[in-house]
Amino acid sequence: MKEVLLKTEGLSKSFSSGGVLQHVLKNIDLTLYRGDFTVIMGASGAGKSTLLYALSGMDTPTLGKITFGQEVISDLSSDQLAVFRRRNCGFVFQQIYLMDGMSVMDNVLCAGLLASRDKKALTKRARELFEAVGIEAKLHGKFPTQLSGGEAQRVGIVRALINEPGILFCDEPTGALNSKTGLQVLDTLTGFNKKGQSVVMVTHDMRCARRANRILYLKDGSILGECELGPYVSGDAGRHEKLSAFLQEMGW
Amino acid sequence: MQKSLLIARSNIRKAKGQTTTTVVLILLAAMMLNLWLILSIDYKQNFARTHDRLQDGHVNLLADSREEGITAYLEEQLEEDPRTEALCMTPVLWGTVSFPYNNGDVSCEGFFLSKDAALKRETGRVEFLTESAGSGVYLPMLYGGEGNYQVGDTILFQSEGEELKLTVRGFFNSAMAGSHNCAVNAFLVTEDVYRELEEKPFLYPSIFYSIRITDKNDSQDYEAMVKNLVSKASPQMRALSNSYAMVSQSRYISQSICSGIISALAFLILLIALVVIASNVANYIQENLENLGALKAVGYTGSQLAAALLWQFLGIQTATAAVGIALSYGIFPLVNEMMVSQTGIPYQMRFLPLVALAVLGFLGCVVGLSVWLSARRIKKIEPITALRQGVMTHSFKRNHFPLKDARGPLNLTLALKTAFAGMKRNVIVCITMLALSLVLVFSGLMWRNMIVDMKPFVDLIVGEAADSCLNVDCEREEEFLKVLKGDDRVEKAYLYHTVELRHVGGLALEANLSDDFSRVNNPGVVYRGRFPKYDNEMAIAAKYAREQGLSIGDEIVLTADGHEAAYLITGFTQISNHLGKDCLMTRSGYERMGKLSNASYYIDLVEGTDVEEFHEDVSGRFSGSIHAAINISAVMEGTSAVYVSMMRTIVIAVMVLSVFIVAFVLYLLVRALLNEKKRDYGILKALGFTTGQLILQTALSFLPTVALSLALGLSVSALTINRLVALFLRGIGVMKCTFVVPVGFIVIAGAGLTLAAFGIACLLSLRIRKIAPRVLLTEGGV
Repeated sequence: MKEVLLKTEGLSKSFSSGGVLQHVLKNIDLTLYRGDFTVIMGASGAGKSTLLYALSGMDTPTLGKITFGQEVISDLSSDQLAVFRRRNCGFVFQQIYLMDGMSVMDNVLCAGLLASRDKKALTKRARELFEAVGIEAKLHGKFPTQLSGGEAQRVGIVRALINEPGILFCDEPTGALNSKTGLQVLDTLTGFNKKGQSVVMVTHDMRCARRANRILYLKDGSILGECELGPYVSGDAGRHEKLSAFLQEMGW
Repeated sequence: MQKSLLIARSNIRKAKGQTTTTVVLILLAAMMLNLWLILSIDYKQNFARTHDRLQDGHVNLLADSREEGITAYLEEQLEEDPRTEALCMTPVLWGTVSFPYNNGDVSCEGFFLSKDAALKRETGRVEFLTESAGSGVYLPMLYGGEGNYQVGDTILFQSEGEELKLTVRGFFNSAMAGSHNCAVNAFLVTEDVYRELEEKPFLYPSIFYSIRITDKNDSQDYEAMVKNLVSKASPQMRALSNSYAMVSQSRYISQSICSGIISALAFLILLIALVVIASNVANYIQENLENLGALKAVGYTGSQLAAALLWQFLGIQTATAAVGIALSYGIFPLVNEMMVSQTGIPYQMRFLPLVALAVLGFLGCVVGLSVWLSARRIKKIEPITALRQGVMTHSFKRNHFPLKDARGPLNLTLALKTAFAGMKRNVIVCITMLALSLVLVFSGLMWRNMIVDMKPFVDLIVGEAADSCLNVDCEREEEFLKVLKGDDRVEKAYLYHTVELRHVGGLALEANLSDDFSRVNNPGVVYRGRFPKYDNEMAIAAKYAREQGLSIGDEIVLTADGHEAAYLITGFTQISNHLGKDCLMTRSGYERMGKLSNASYYIDLVEGTDVEEFHEDVSGRFSGSIHAAINISAVMEGTSAVYVSMMRTIVIAVMVLSVFIVAFVLYLLVRALLNEKKRDYGILKALGFTTGQLILQTALSFLPTVALSLALGLSVSALTINRLVALFLRGIGVMKCTFVVPVGFIVIAGAGLTLAAFGIACLLSLRIRKIAPRVLLTEGGV
């Protein structure tokens, strides 16, 4: 029996644009489980990113309830949500969003020191994570603009994982990278997931989706279907066929 | 040019916020520059215009003798002088009078003349501002107005223990005898009152000579010649004189102080405006690198793009400066009201096109230069580099305060990182705070030495002060001193008598005589060398010594009562009573030339003694032998009230302006910082930083520069302010300023301004609330 990590009930989100109300998420009931690598797919404008930042407490829903463990996060204020995020969430963005004015190490510690005051332990963990993602020690003092796209995104992953988050939220993490560096990033994420890290990723890239054990397909603000792929094994041809068939069924 | 104008219009539309800040600063700078120029050019010339309109004398002499032989001699000699243009002689009644004024007293050498006689004078005319029927007195307009005399009021003159009550019938304007700052002060009375006054023993029949000369620049030399004539005509005759050079300065002291302060503030605001404009141009280039690259790619030259910025700022500057100039005319009546209470000469405001053009032209030049110098970078932009967002946006050289080594709290460390990363921001804060420090220290100095306790101001400007001054006949001097010695109300009494001397080959000097200068209350009068001790010694005003090329140790020949004597200069004084034409000598030293017929004694009284009562007692005891009894404290209060009030207004204005400038500069910087760091704030919020933490970081990031600049600025200003003020007052003879530096005020002002800056930065950073982390996701970048 999988442990429930995050649950939504009747989650809806609407925006007013030019005086017209747009319902981006419609009455979504969803459960995410600890240790899963969940991918959210869908066409552009389906509401993937809106769902991601509603789930992660970056935004509040218009209606509905989101529960993380025992805590209802949909009722929290923006400052309470900030505290929730620092304790429970890690983020990997498509545009990476490292702070240009800080060194690689400081980008990571800046997030880490929010949740822990043990600087020594944090620095040690940061070094271990850097090693795990293949970032050499000589890069720790560099500025983000001095890194390649792949290196920067791996630093982004280290920053996201420094506080050992309950869930790692990834928004198109390979979207701005070339195929080789994109693959390195995916390998990194898959590696952490295998060690028990829960991951929720928004993507429209089949390569990324193949890494997941669970696919959710979003259409017009509702979950149209979902597919269980099982644990990722490299070179599993059957997995690819199953995913293709699911996506075909969803109208991809 | 048309292309540049098009780009300029588009820039203004896009950068409304930056345009607003530039507008406010230029508006203030133009307004204050125009005010300063009106005050220092036209307002000062108002004296010359009034003087010409009234055909007033360039040199005036008040002599207490109507003896035919003397007046005929003086008239003949004066008329024979080729420099004399016109001479007018009028019989008057002269007395040393005091009367209530500005919640205190004013004591002056006043002369009463009949209104009809005054109206007949061709030289030294007066103009009436208010008139009413009935017998009484007409006062110089200085003593009228709110809080002072009104038509119908009774004025109480006191002289030699006698009282004289007159009804005020109106006010008049006189250039050379319309204020106690003129050395001689005129009071016009109706014919019947004049006849009554002729019977008063304390008013001496005298002649008032008004002389117009061909070149007003010779007024001081001419005055010296007149005094020489007087001592030749009758060494015993009491005489007082003034000159155009002296009166035009002494009646405009407040104007000099006020225009000095306004000019300092104007240039401070202008400096901030220029720094802000330069910063705006740099920000514009940074933020529009891609657009500039695109424009260059389609064929615009670097000069055209720089010219667009130049047009943009010159357009804003010209329109705004014009409004600022107009505003200065709106504000001027308030400044005028403050000035008139000291000058006592009404000023008719008029539009000064040349001054306005000078302000517009000057601002155009400095703004243009600032824009052009900052916009030069555009020429270096390569289109392809700019389109790729080039390297210009990323030029980090050092990772300040690495988090793994930093010891302080996280928010403080991140604030310090921001502070150290923004050198341009720090420079603007630093310049602003340094300039404000000087202004604050100056305000504190004036507040402490003029408003809280006037003693240092009195010591510096007046020279010597005590509680009371009694002038006694020398014949009864011994008896007088014996009485004072036995009076337990008297703490200290010492001779401090002023006489007039002439430096052979030089000008007339006021000499302060004492038996023993070690007893005076203000030993700071001699700022270099020492007081005279022996009868062949004297100390001389440093200003006069410099003009005459005299040094300590030099010998100087003086004349008084027709006798000459040589004296050795032992020290330099800085008494500014007679605009730097003073000297000190012992009584025995003076008596080598002349003899005193009466002597003024300065008296310090025991705390709580009623000065007026003391005067009444002593005057009663020495009936007829006390020629003047001056309540010095009351006179100080009365004559200084206008300066105190002016200084209070200036100090308040400076404090308000300081807070406004700090708020304004911080507004600009916080806004720029928030724009620059919007993306970082989004990231930090996504990572879990709360709005409060980010506001704290932003506000804290300004504190190191604010606090350090203020500490440095206030310390340096406190250490140098006395030297700067002395430089400012050198014109009136002050060489070494000994004002008390208000350390407590400075520390409190520094701490207050730092806290205010922190509070203002917190308030301005509230905009961070509006930055939501989801902008990172929705906009794919910020």
